[in-house]
Amino acid sequence: MPYHEFSCSKCIPERKKHAVIKGHGEDLTAALPLGYLNTIPGSISERGCAYCGAKHVIGTPMKDVIHMSHGPIGCTYDTWQTKRYISDNDNFQIKYTYATDMKEKHVIFGAEKLLKQNIIEAFKAFPNMKRMSIYQTCASALIGDDINAVAQEVMDEMPDVDIFVCNSPGFGGPSQSGGHHKINIAWINQKVGTVEPKITSDYVINYVGEYNIQGDQEVMMDFFKRMGIQVLSTFTGNGSYDDLRAMHRAHLNVLECARSAEYICNELRKRYGIPRLDIDGFGFEPVSVSLRKIGLFFGIEDRAQAIIDEETARWKPELDWYKERLKGKRVCLWPGGSKLWHWAHVIHEEMGVDVVSVYTKFGHQGDMEKGISRCEEGALAIDDPNELEGLETMQTLKPDIIFTGKRPGEVAKKIRVPYLNAHAYHNGPWKGYEGWVRFARDIYNAIYSPIHQLACVDISKDEIPADKGFLTQRMLSDANLSEDVISSSSLRQYTGKYDCLPELRKKTYSSFESKLADVV
Amino acid sequence: MEDLIKEKVEQLVNYIMKKCLWQFHSRAWDRKDQNEGILTKTRQLLCGEPVELETPADRCWWVDAVCLADAFKSRYPWLAAMDKAEIKQLMRCLHERMDYLTITGSLNRELTDRHY
Repeated sequence: MPYHEFSCSKCIPERKKHAVIKGHGEDLTAALPLGYLNTIPGSISERGCAYCGAKHVIGTPMKDVIHMSHGPIGCTYDTWQTKRYISDNDNFQIKYTYATDMKEKHVIFGAEKLLKQNIIEAFKAFPNMKRMSIYQTCASALIGDDINAVAQEVMDEMPDVDIFVCNSPGFGGPSQSGGHHKINIAWINQKVGTVEPKITSDYVINYVGEYNIQGDQEVMMDFFKRMGIQVLSTFTGNGSYDDLRAMHRAHLNVLECARSAEYICNELRKRYGIPRLDIDGFGFEPVSVSLRKIGLFFGIEDRAQAIIDEETARWKPELDWYKERLKGKRVCLWPGGSKLWHWAHVIHEEMGVDVVSVYTKFGHQGDMEKGISRCEEGALAIDDPNELEGLETMQTLKPDIIFTGKRPGEVAKKIRVPYLNAHAYHNGPWKGYEGWVRFARDIYNAIYSPIHQLACVDISKDEIPADKGFLTQRMLSDANLSEDVISSSSLRQYTGKYDCLPELRKKTYSSFESKLADVV
Repeated sequence: MEDLIKEKVEQLVNYIMKKCLWQFHSRAWDRKDQNEGILTKTRQLLCGEPVELETPADRCWWVDAVCLADAFKSRYPWLAAMDKAEIKQLMRCLHERMDYLTITGSLNRELTDRHY
């Protein structure tokens, strides 16, 4: 597994140990990219900061909370509404963003008074919201404002409110991942164990590392509810502040994104003896195995199997319609952290695409171990790439599509490579069975977009064919398919609704007999 | 004979590396516990021996072991032709190989970090 040196990064020799090519017959002990290190000066990283990781990735998906940044307004503004972690309370946490608006004078004279005034103002402006998270930024950390003391003062004066303080300034780590760690530990230290929940089922879990991107959490909740499982809390997508204070009472932690939330699972395991079960919510086989495992743990495997059978029968013919049309397409899988290993093998197996490169912006070496194990031979694995390396890779590997964030995604568009937003999705949810078909549909739409074909024509030099009409998606995607596939009666395109969430939110669930003698 | 076992072990390793996540916990001591817990229980299931399910952690390892044993049986028909002693030897070699790939031979610098 040789290290890969980019031509564009020859002037930054330290970069060489951040990329490898997965070679034939080689294993992880031959080479592993370095990871979770400070970005090398001169390399224009795509990473976010530790404040962003704490607030924007993990804190803000909590739905019934005023999320206040103690710092300049730019910190909160630039992390606002960039990720679609929706909620079932009219997206309160996305609609509003709050900052104390620190200026130069506060750097000199301190900003604790300003903070207190802002906290009280925010609670008065939103009288139904009684919970707040305060996020430290570089500026407020450097001047040494005691945020915890101010928060306590307000809680003493307003006994009906509760405030969580997250001290994770932007410089507090090599990337956003440093912030993930800090907020995990801060939450368990400050808040877990401060609320006693009502237990309503024999089977109680925390669903951890799930951020409800375009409704992913709600899709998985539907499965859990159909199995009669009580989800005590979701950390943190569509999650409720007070539910998350009661995490210590679960029987099992079901962990989805280990990159962002394994810390709290590990702490819950050590402090409260709650085991950690890592699952994959993406793809038919992984989600089926995941549901089966949870069912096995509680002795209700039959309930899991019923869901697996029903969902597979309903959605598999639609997934296979897209698979026939996506086979052999070359993909650069360039997400932030966990999706490189959640998706690397399953998009190959279930959608037929070839992953030619994986990268991670803020992943650790453990994420690379998982990702490299799961991708196919020949794939180029890159840690913390810079923009030029991304361009060089696209020019060399010639992918048909890349899955990444919107900043590198826009760069890809400029060289006429379509991209899907791996962080916030296009037409999600993408989890679960129907979600996986929606993802396949988005890939299909991106690769075979007639607009994209037209955009590839350079009118300054290409000859424009005047004798050809407009090509539709089907004309493009079905050009080389056999007649059997084209006219197959068993395969079909996605038949779900434009928005699949409203029905889920209205759904009622049958109750199961409980062993609890007296449900408390 | 040794080559034959090695080849079979590699098939099982490939399955685990591709499909499972439990072997990649973030610290060396944690990976050791995971490999020990899950592979021991998988061996017991494949050999038809009783499996200890006393603690929640045992149960969690057992869950992964059940899925792993089922996958091995359905994907590798040669397993059915092996007797208990051969399965035990195979699983011992698999355990050693997994410990090497994920712990002792791993290039992951975070494995020895004292904190999570």
